[in-house]
Amino acid sequence: MSAFFQYCVIGLSNGAVYAMVAMSLVIIYRATGLLNFAQGETSLIATFVVWEAHERGVPLPLGLLIGMVAGFLLGALLQRVAVQPAGDPATAPLQLVIVTIGLLLVLNNAAGLIWGNESNVFDPMFGPSSFSIGGVTIGAQQIGTVAVLFAEALALVAVFRFTKIGLAMRSVASNAESSGLSGIPVSRILVISWGIAGGIGAIAGTFAAPNLGMDATLFLKILVLSFAAMTIGGFDSLLGAIVGGLVVGLITDVLPRYVDWLKEMPLAPAVLLILAVLLVRPQGLFGSQQVRRV
Amino acid sequence: MNPAMSSPWSRRGVWLLALVVLGLFPVLFESGTEQLTRWIPLVVAGIGLNLLTGFNGQVSIGHGAFFGLGAYACGIWVNDHDGQFLMGFIVAIVLCFFAGGIVGLPALRIRGLALALMTIAVGTLFPDIIRQFEGLTGGSSGLGIQTLKLNGRGRLQDRTTEWLAPGWSGFSSDQWRFYVFAIIAAICVAMTAALIRSRTGRALIAIRDNEVAAETNGIAVDRLKVITFGLSAALAGIGGAMFALIDFNLTPDSFNLNFSLNLLVIVVIGGSGTILGPVVGALSVGLFNDVIVKRVLPNDLGLVGPVILGVVLVLSMQFSPGGTVGSIKHVVEERQLKRRTALPPTP
Amino acid sequence: MTLLSASIQRCGYGPVNVLSNVNVVVDAGEAVVVLGANGAGKTTLLRALSGMIPFTGKINFGGVARSKVAPDAMVRAGMAHVPQGRGTITNLTVEENLRVGAYTRRDGDVAADIERWYEMFPRLGERRTQQAGSMSGGEQQMLAIARAFMSRPSLVLLDEPSLGLAPLVTREVFDRVAELVRTTGTAVLVVEQNANLALQFVGRGYVLESGEIVTAGTASELQADTSIREAYLGGPAEATS
Repeated sequence: MSAFFQYCVIGLSNGAVYAMVAMSLVIIYRATGLLNFAQGETSLIATFVVWEAHERGVPLPLGLLIGMVAGFLLGALLQRVAVQPAGDPATAPLQLVIVTIGLLLVLNNAAGLIWGNESNVFDPMFGPSSFSIGGVTIGAQQIGTVAVLFAEALALVAVFRFTKIGLAMRSVASNAESSGLSGIPVSRILVISWGIAGGIGAIAGTFAAPNLGMDATLFLKILVLSFAAMTIGGFDSLLGAIVGGLVVGLITDVLPRYVDWLKEMPLAPAVLLILAVLLVRPQGLFGSQQVRRV
Repeated sequence: MNPAMSSPWSRRGVWLLALVVLGLFPVLFESGTEQLTRWIPLVVAGIGLNLLTGFNGQVSIGHGAFFGLGAYACGIWVNDHDGQFLMGFIVAIVLCFFAGGIVGLPALRIRGLALALMTIAVGTLFPDIIRQFEGLTGGSSGLGIQTLKLNGRGRLQDRTTEWLAPGWSGFSSDQWRFYVFAIIAAICVAMTAALIRSRTGRALIAIRDNEVAAETNGIAVDRLKVITFGLSAALAGIGGAMFALIDFNLTPDSFNLNFSLNLLVIVVIGGSGTILGPVVGALSVGLFNDVIVKRVLPNDLGLVGPVILGVVLVLSMQFSPGGTVGSIKHVVEERQLKRRTALPPTP
Repeated sequence: MTLLSASIQRCGYGPVNVLSNVNVVVDAGEAVVVLGANGAGKTTLLRALSGMIPFTGKINFGGVARSKVAPDAMVRAGMAHVPQGRGTITNLTVEENLRVGAYTRRDGDVAADIERWYEMFPRLGERRTQQAGSMSGGEQQMLAIARAFMSRPSLVLLDEPSLGLAPLVTREVFDRVAELVRTTGTAVLVVEQNANLALQFVGRGYVLESGEIVTAGTASELQADTSIREAYLGGPAEATS
């Protein structure tokens, strides 16, 4: 029985990472109506920056800040240079999907070229210590990951709810035309939105890499899982990203241990969930319903 | 483009020339034949993906799964039934058609971005599925494909891993395989072209452009979308079957997400929504990856190619979303329009 | 003094040209209408004026000449645009919509202004924390107008306020707008199909037909003009109510 709880602990802390990535995806979806398939790779570059800084002796928290700045700049740059000129997501969604796929290819392989293909060690932010309760080992890093997730979520909500720029971002996400007519610099707000999504990607990577290894495949491994989190929670809901991430973490780490035919297919439960949600309740748990325009 | 080029005779001349060149290539450059053969499965798979995404508007970023399904289906069949290569193709076609139809059903309710997401998920899952059914597919260690060789007296002996040319042809197995694949690919292109030009093809395109309008015009949208998915998967399966018969060895990771993305790149760069687009795309991407990059950067681990292709992809969405063939068509049409609407010179 | 003087030679969407040689003038504090049927180009005109779409020509607003500007710059210059269909920012609350309207302001009176709007439109005040998209059409129209005025503009462009609203509600909207023009001294340029109603509230008007200005004059002149009466006011024999 304690094994079950052990798997749950692992699942929750892994799920927190998927939730972090999903939050970036939600921010971009809300701002531009786009599924950014390259989000993981932007986060990858930001995480490599964190790793590089740490390798050079910078303490990890400071390195994380540096990585967040790098992620912000990269996200902002990509929006301005690659996404905005490619057209309006409302009228040409396929074209933008292809742009994000292109960015995925560029960023992922560029990372491989710059940093090589071997897997590097990434230190856990909260150290290796752990304690046991009733046969279940809980690591400081695992608790820390979930704690950072909630702190991050609270910070984002605070920015959205209480700051002028947060209001502008929500306004643009809801009605870009009216926002522009009210004097909001829409283009700049979109750039900032992508920047924020990129910046928080560094956090996701900082907590994903200790377990999964610091190499170019880091975010590819969790691509489907983070999108599953976003789908279950609802494309435009930050709360949904958190709940979705934790749910995906739990089923992905717990189920395959008990179901034999999932042994070689750890992604299968998440994929089936994506399918089920999209068919039965496309807006997920907390997303808003989309009306199909005729 | 001067008027002479647009006459039907000169277009046929170009086609004839291309055919002759292609036909003589294996004879003249036997060492390059295998490389050229490797690009043919991508052409066929590209045609399949283009049919679904370019002409019918249903995004699929996981088409590698159908390609892989066809490859394994053909490989397993050939292993169990010696020498029945063509039958292997048929098995792949049928299996993939139904698989495509099955995937096409939920795709009726899931559209656009969500469909892209779902297909990515399926495409990423595919290698895992292969690994799971180890007994059938050989799992991670791969599936070796072997067949028995017919000796001079028509009796089975010795295991072989190549598709031997029949004695009367005088070809090497490489050349024979090239011609068979090329003919199959040509048939696929021709059939797809015929389909697109038919009423059904126009209905497909109508669905892409405005599904609701198509429905109110009496098109059986749901049925057609599912069938298109099936056809598209079947074509990818043909490509997969070809792939299996090139190396005679399959591993699950050859058909991962990266491969699916490569197929998408081929279709987009070649020109989605055009008949020749996938042909141009597959050949140019193949040429780029396997010839140019290998020459210029022999130590590259396959990373520089995707970076450049990715950049091309991003830029092409900004400047020429119609891809190579689409842009050429656009330029040609613009010049024809200018000529037709140009004012006569003032007297 | 002249607030806005626009001279648009060509304006359209891609290969389709909508406006041809349109000249419009608005003085400070006045209410002007541009009448026109569907497809005449009224919305296109406003979009050109507020900088949403490019055009060939020149616009002189607030003493500065521009030929192509982004909408947010126009807002800072003192021009606000209430789009067709109200353009409510549906996922924000009523109060947030108003705060968005004041986005370009740097002074500290925003909260006080918001309270003043709630006094003028008590129904908005009652719904201040409600999602803006859940209100009725008339309430959303009031909100859109209030949002535009929040930036303390010198000129407000109003696109077909009657669209989708019941006649009584429309009348109330026009009443309020007229009141605002009187009390705040803000100029208003309204485009409307409903000539009957609009001409009662404005001082001057233009008539736009197929992208060209065919007539201009004071409200009484337009009301008296027989061709306009036939085309827009329901015939020569009808008296305006």
